Amino acid sequence: MEVTVKIFRYNPEKDQRGNYVTYKIEADPNDRVLDVLEHIKGKEDGTLSFRRSCAHGVCGSDAMRINGRNMLACKTLVRDVGANITVEPLLGLKVAKDLIVDMGPFFDNYKKMLPYLINDNPIPADGKERLQSPEQRARFDESTKCILCAACTTSCPSFWANDEYYGPAALVTAHRFIFDSRDEGADQRLHVISETNGSVRCHTAYNCTEACPRDIHITQAIGEIKLAMVTGKLE
Amino acid sequence: MGLKRDVSLSTALRYKGQGPFLTFILHRIGGLGMAIFITVHILATFVEKQGWAIGDFINDIYMSPPFQIFILFCVLFHAINGLRITILDLFPTRLIQYHRQAIAIEWVIFIILFSFAAVSAVTTAIGRL
Repeated sequence: MEVTVKIFRYNPEKDQRGNYVTYKIEADPNDRVLDVLEHIKGKEDGTLSFRRSCAHGVCGSDAMRINGRNMLACKTLVRDVGANITVEPLLGLKVAKDLIVDMGPFFDNYKKMLPYLINDNPIPADGKERLQSPEQRARFDESTKCILCAACTTSCPSFWANDEYYGPAALVTAHRFIFDSRDEGADQRLHVISETNGSVRCHTAYNCTEACPRDIHITQAIGEIKLAMVTGKLE
Repeated sequence: MGLKRDVSLSTALRYKGQGPFLTFILHRIGGLGMAIFITVHILATFVEKQGWAIGDFINDIYMSPPFQIFILFCVLFHAINGLRITILDLFPTRLIQYHRQAIAIEWVIFIILFSFAAVSAVTTAIGRL
């Protein structure tokens, strides 16, 4: 089938503002949007820039706006988006070139959540790992699936309005550690999240949940954090 | 280096967040509509007390059926949507996963109540003619 692909282009060395360039190519309905972009870069215009790495929905490099919604290009089939495809960079982050955005602020917010195990207690007497039950593990199973693609954060109206807001991805990371029975840094994280730019900025638009390529119930995770802040309970 | 990150209102409104995002936008419109109504109401009362003719003009605006229907929409949608958000927020683990169903129920309740209210506003306006 013939596919018309409209791509946002921006070259910081030449352009004052971005513009759209349209390409017409032949594609199979079962091709992924990433395959289409690869084809354009390889055969039509080698200057097209975009991030990609694993190409299998695991690394989270190729999150972009496809037909107005945040998606991973490697998980989106042409047949699902139709013959007219518009590809744009993620909203709310500076565009470095074409479809590449500056992920710096996103990862700065991620780091504020202390994304590592905090436990100063001595390791168990047998010298092996800190054990936890399947139920304790299931408590934060959803939030371990995050691949930090930024599709959620850049679909959030609160983040569009204020990039100081930590954003859904950072809060999901916080959820992953706060509800981990082995971790003892919940108070520190809840203190960070309770600040002005923390979870109170979530106004439950659900864009993050809809955009997540890993189907994480992000708004639910943020809701659980909010409840933990109010009740002080981590159950 | 790089384009600014600013997201304009028109760009934000064009984001295809589907049903939940629509309720988010309508909730803001509802809140803004009520704020405008209260401002106009206070302004009209103040101006009327001063004996200025413009007070009647402002009163005519917010007493007009289209404006009343708009305000009914704002108040009802804001209230019902706010109730839905509050209920889901209170039980995130059990209920938030059903947010789409909750929004569907919200629309049904809203349409029924708004229809009654709008019909009532229109018949009252016709009766006044």
